[in-house]
Amino acid sequence: MNDRLWSEAVIIEAPGRQLRVESTRDAEICLRRYWPLKDGRALNLARDACQRALSGSASPDSARRAFVEAAREAEFEIRSWS
Amino acid sequence: MKVRDVMTRQVVTASPNDSVQAVARLMADAETGAIPIEVPGVGNLVGVITDRDIVLRVVAEGLASTTAVSEIMSVGIEGCLEEDDLREAVRKMEELNMRRLLVYDNERQLSGIITLGDITAEYRDIADTDPRPETGVQT
Repeated sequence: MNDRLWSEAVIIEAPGRQLRVESTRDAEICLRRYWPLKDGRALNLARDACQRALSGSASPDSARRAFVEAAREAEFEIRSWS
Repeated sequence: MKVRDVMTRQVVTASPNDSVQAVARLMADAETGAIPIEVPGVGNLVGVITDRDIVLRVVAEGLASTTAVSEIMSVGIEGCLEEDDLREAVRKMEELNMRRLLVYDNERQLSGIITLGDITAEYRDIADTDPRPETGVQT
C-alpha cells in the first residue's frame, strides 16, 4: 500500500481545530471519519484520489492535491507551501 | 490454548516519522490501542506506540500533536510466537510489565498482536459456556 509520507504535510484549520495530514492513508481516514461535510464534489474526488493512490494506480501527490481541494470546499484554512 | 487462538491478527503499522495525531486517527480507524512502528521501505520493526503512550507522553507532558512517533514510542519489539502456549505469553507480559505482545509467525514475520483484553475476553467466553462443576457443598 502506497501510504508513506507526502513530500510536505498539509495543515488544515477550523476554529478550535487543527488537522495535520501527512500521508494518503491519513488523508483517507480524515475524509472518512473527521470531515465536516458528508458530501461534496471535491470531497468525492479526494476520496477517489486517495483510494487510487493507496492501490498504487495514482501518485500520492495527486491524492494530496485532491485533499487540499476538498479542504477548501469544506472551508478549512489551509497551511501549505505548495 | 495457543497464542494464535486468541491473538488479534493485525497488519496495521506506522512509520517513526508519522505524527502522533495521525497515529491516533489510525488507532481509532483500526480499532486498536497499539500500533507497531516499522521503518518504511525497509520493513524493520523498531517499536510500538500505544494509546497510553499518547496520553502520558504527549497530552500529559503538553507536547504538540505534531510530535513524531519516534520521540515517544516504546523502543523494542518484544513478542511471542503464534505457536506459543498462552500461559507462556501471559508470563512474559508479567515479566516485562506489558499489556501487549507482538506476535510473530514461524518465519519471524509480524502476524498480529495479543493483548490482555484478548485473553480476558477469551476466558470470559469460556466461563460463559462452561457449566460450573458441582461442588457438593450445600448451603
